[in-house]
Amino acid sequence: MSDAIIQSAPVWAKPTSRYSDLFNRALILIALGALLIFILLPIFWMLKSSFQSTSEVHAIPPSWWAANPSFEPYVIANKIVPLLKYIWNSIFVSASAAILAGIISCMAAYVLARFRFPGATLILVTILLTQLIPPITRVFPVYFLIQNLGLLDSYSGLILAYTGFAVPYAVLLLRGYFQSSVPAELEEAAMMDGCTYFGAFVRVILPICLPGIAAVTIFTFLLAWNDFLWASLLLSSGDAKTIQVGIGGFAGEGGGGRYPNAFMAACVASTIPALIMFFFVQKWLVGGLTAGAVKS
Amino acid sequence: MSEKNLFCYLMVAPALFLTLILGVYPMIDTMIISFQDYDLLTLQSGGVNWVGIDNYSKILADERFVQTIWQTVWMTVLAILFSVSAGLLLAQIINVNFKGRGILRTVVLSPWFVPPVTASAIWIWLLNTNASPINQVLMDWGLIDSNIRFLADSTTWGPFNIPMLSVVAVRSWNGLPIIIIFLLAGLQSIPKSLYEAADMDGAGMFQKFYHVTLPMLRPVLMILLALLFLGGFGHFEMNYVMTGGGPRNLTNVLAVWTYQEGFQFLRYGKAAAASGIILLMTITISIFYLWVESKDNRK
Amino acid sequence: MNLTKKLALLAFSSTMAIASVAKAETTIDFWSQPYGDQIKWQESYEALIEKYEASQSDVKVNFEILPWSDSRTKWLAIAQGGAAPDCADMWWLHSFSAIGGDKYGPMPLGDLASKLPIDEFYPGAMQDASWRGDIYGVPWRGDVRLMLYRSDAMKEAGIEDAPDTWDEVVEVAKKLTVRDGNNVTRWGYGFGTSAKIVDWLMPLYWQAGGEFMTEDGKTATIDNDAMRTALKWMHDMVNVHKVADPDSFEKGYVARPLFVANRVAMFGSAEQAWGKRMEAENPEVNGLWSFARSAKGPEDRDSFSGAGYLGVLRGTEKAEACVNWLSFLAKDENMQALSEASGNVATKPAVMASEFWTDRPYKLVVAEALQDAHTSQHPAPAWSAVSTSEPGGILYDMIYSTVIEQKDMDEAIKKAQGLMQAELDRTE
Repeated sequence: MSDAIIQSAPVWAKPTSRYSDLFNRALILIALGALLIFILLPIFWMLKSSFQSTSEVHAIPPSWWAANPSFEPYVIANKIVPLLKYIWNSIFVSASAAILAGIISCMAAYVLARFRFPGATLILVTILLTQLIPPITRVFPVYFLIQNLGLLDSYSGLILAYTGFAVPYAVLLLRGYFQSSVPAELEEAAMMDGCTYFGAFVRVILPICLPGIAAVTIFTFLLAWNDFLWASLLLSSGDAKTIQVGIGGFAGEGGGGRYPNAFMAACVASTIPALIMFFFVQKWLVGGLTAGAVKS
Repeated sequence: MSEKNLFCYLMVAPALFLTLILGVYPMIDTMIISFQDYDLLTLQSGGVNWVGIDNYSKILADERFVQTIWQTVWMTVLAILFSVSAGLLLAQIINVNFKGRGILRTVVLSPWFVPPVTASAIWIWLLNTNASPINQVLMDWGLIDSNIRFLADSTTWGPFNIPMLSVVAVRSWNGLPIIIIFLLAGLQSIPKSLYEAADMDGAGMFQKFYHVTLPMLRPVLMILLALLFLGGFGHFEMNYVMTGGGPRNLTNVLAVWTYQEGFQFLRYGKAAAASGIILLMTITISIFYLWVESKDNRK
Repeated sequence: MNLTKKLALLAFSSTMAIASVAKAETTIDFWSQPYGDQIKWQESYEALIEKYEASQSDVKVNFEILPWSDSRTKWLAIAQGGAAPDCADMWWLHSFSAIGGDKYGPMPLGDLASKLPIDEFYPGAMQDASWRGDIYGVPWRGDVRLMLYRSDAMKEAGIEDAPDTWDEVVEVAKKLTVRDGNNVTRWGYGFGTSAKIVDWLMPLYWQAGGEFMTEDGKTATIDNDAMRTALKWMHDMVNVHKVADPDSFEKGYVARPLFVANRVAMFGSAEQAWGKRMEAENPEVNGLWSFARSAKGPEDRDSFSGAGYLGVLRGTEKAEACVNWLSFLAKDENMQALSEASGNVATKPAVMASEFWTDRPYKLVVAEALQDAHTSQHPAPAWSAVSTSEPGGILYDMIYSTVIEQKDMDEAIKKAQGLMQAELDRTE
């Protein structure tokens, strides 16, 4: 699978002698431009609103720039919710869930991909089954389950929930990765050297699969990072809240809050840590997913 | 038990345990409730009784519900069509090695970092009939002479209407990053030599896309489409926050219907039955996917 | 009596004894939804708690703000047995009582109620904190709705006084509506400021002489001429006179920016809290708007009102401490602080007579409008489900099909009456 890492040359970047290709390339550039506007307009709107006054945010007709850009909304946002604290809470919860889900799904995906054992197919179908009902219907069953486990209002409960929601998806994804990217000879060689099954897994397989594991870890991280519903249901003490729950606090009765600009400022603040994380690991993520996707 | 089997079970156990308690248990719980007259208002005073398929026949007799099923399908199909084609284009572009690729990649994937609830709030501003910057620009350019009522216009063309397309656009915006990531991964695995061969044959850009890229992406596309359909049929957030199902029920989808029946009208039995309908739809997709996959493998 | 019960009783009485001797400090969990300006809200409560804890040494209060965005799911979970605080700012008393039964949810205060200054509140407000003869807490947040209009637009159109009857509303709204080709640049009328269309119908129906159900909450009474009058008026405002925006019936419609931008000139049923909010948040329109009492319909001038209450939750072992805290909050000066922070009218006449509620002309109108108040709470657990402004809601569907889809009104009313009766029978 060494081809996997070779970048395929993009079709449109190659010079060809065909006149029609020039026209096609222009078409593609126009489409790219339109798509970029589509993708960036809300992001831009969020950014500019976070520097405006409340009346500017709600102005009719809409105002595209902050007349007097100010950091005031960020200060207000930080007064309403302790941004840094909540962001830190979010990082802790999301990172824990991500690491846990990475490990658990990696173990399961590995044996489901490489070994035949009684019940393997049944387990696989069970895992697929969990993806079939709408998430909204599991709200109360899961809430009361967590309560009965005595884990309400604790990070353990929240981390457990996120890990559980991510694991089925992660297992399906990683299984494909293991099937395609790990040469069987490697683990056979390791076994010959006297490794136990587990030893071979930890010493030989895991290091090779790090990119795949990283991919799954990032999926889980963002799943947890972006979640509002579960964090708001399972946590109630103010200090422990996550950043998305904090952001939910900007909504007034019936939706509109007093500080729409501070609301946007909090949103901007909440995206920054996730963005930074992503910028550094993006190469890994793409490399990691490659092989997994090929096989599935 | 052999050492190998023991090892296998131990390795699967944590994942299986989590799946069972957080995935399978709520599902079974919901399915049981869907056959009961589970009513929050009378739960304490009257308890629950088995009612067979009563909930199902009641909701299916409601023409609004049947309309909602079709809309769930249409909106999912449209969102997938749009976001997968946009994803195919964008993934190919950011797959190229050029300076600033990391930045363009992050930009293209930026919707991923805006949580759905926040994203809907921003889009509501952008699509508000009277305050929409989009309307403002279109008016200034003289392209329209009255505001587009993005989320309120109930004029329909067949199964389509403006609010439905607006919500589809927002759902696509939200779903695009994950699609791009998947496709990007798939693209990287296509051997360069295939394109070189196509060049020798004098293939044009679209021919190469059609004869090389698309067939090579098929396995990725198949699992991607399956997952998108499964997620799409149960989609809740964007639809609920943006329109709540209106105008005239035109943007209602099954998950929103489930929420309203359960959380607003407090009839869990009927809400669970609506989930049961979603389950039937997702099972159909899964079986279809497994069938196609096994057919592919046999080739 | 079996052994366990005996032991439990023993343990219970001994803790009571210890409690009364040592006066052990109790910490109670108290939640409130945020109102008005979130920062001021938090500060007001912190100040109140500080004052309370200084005034006595037995009870400490652990305060949490419960954001509106999690509020519904959380209270639903609590009414089904989820983790609850000891006391809180609550709503939907009738429904949550029914859902929780005698196990979870709001707790009737029983004898403890005698520690609260019940007589000092408006009787109407007390009604919203009571259910089936039991008192559940103290009402604190009045929500009375009245007419709100742009005085500058009125002057421009040469109109002296706010319209006083339905007919006058129609005339004035026509004059205030401004069209520019296909676009309406200003709507003369909006039904209400909250995005809940059922809340708009309620006062109109009462003004036409109707009531939604009998006093025992057992019989639905909406298939009558009063409903036809109210619905027809709504229908005509949108479709015949074309002075009200049909888009306002859709989710996502936000009223205030439109009012501030002079794109809607008048609201028939505006939340009085808007007064204080516009003063603080939209100083650019100060002096350009006024309140007026609701317009008189064929029968009456009834206005939408409701009161949120502070109550105790079942499952708490600290009910007494909670009531102590609530009785502190129920004092005039503390009710005043909450009223000032939220901008909501107070539930006590003494507070409404204070300087805060008399220092602006608009506030005097608000105080005057209290006499028109008609509670939006109805004595039936299913009322919240009946009156929910979501598609599929019985009253919502009736209004929507008549006014927006313009389908047959009589049929819609008849259908709604049948469905609503079935809902009321649901809890029998």
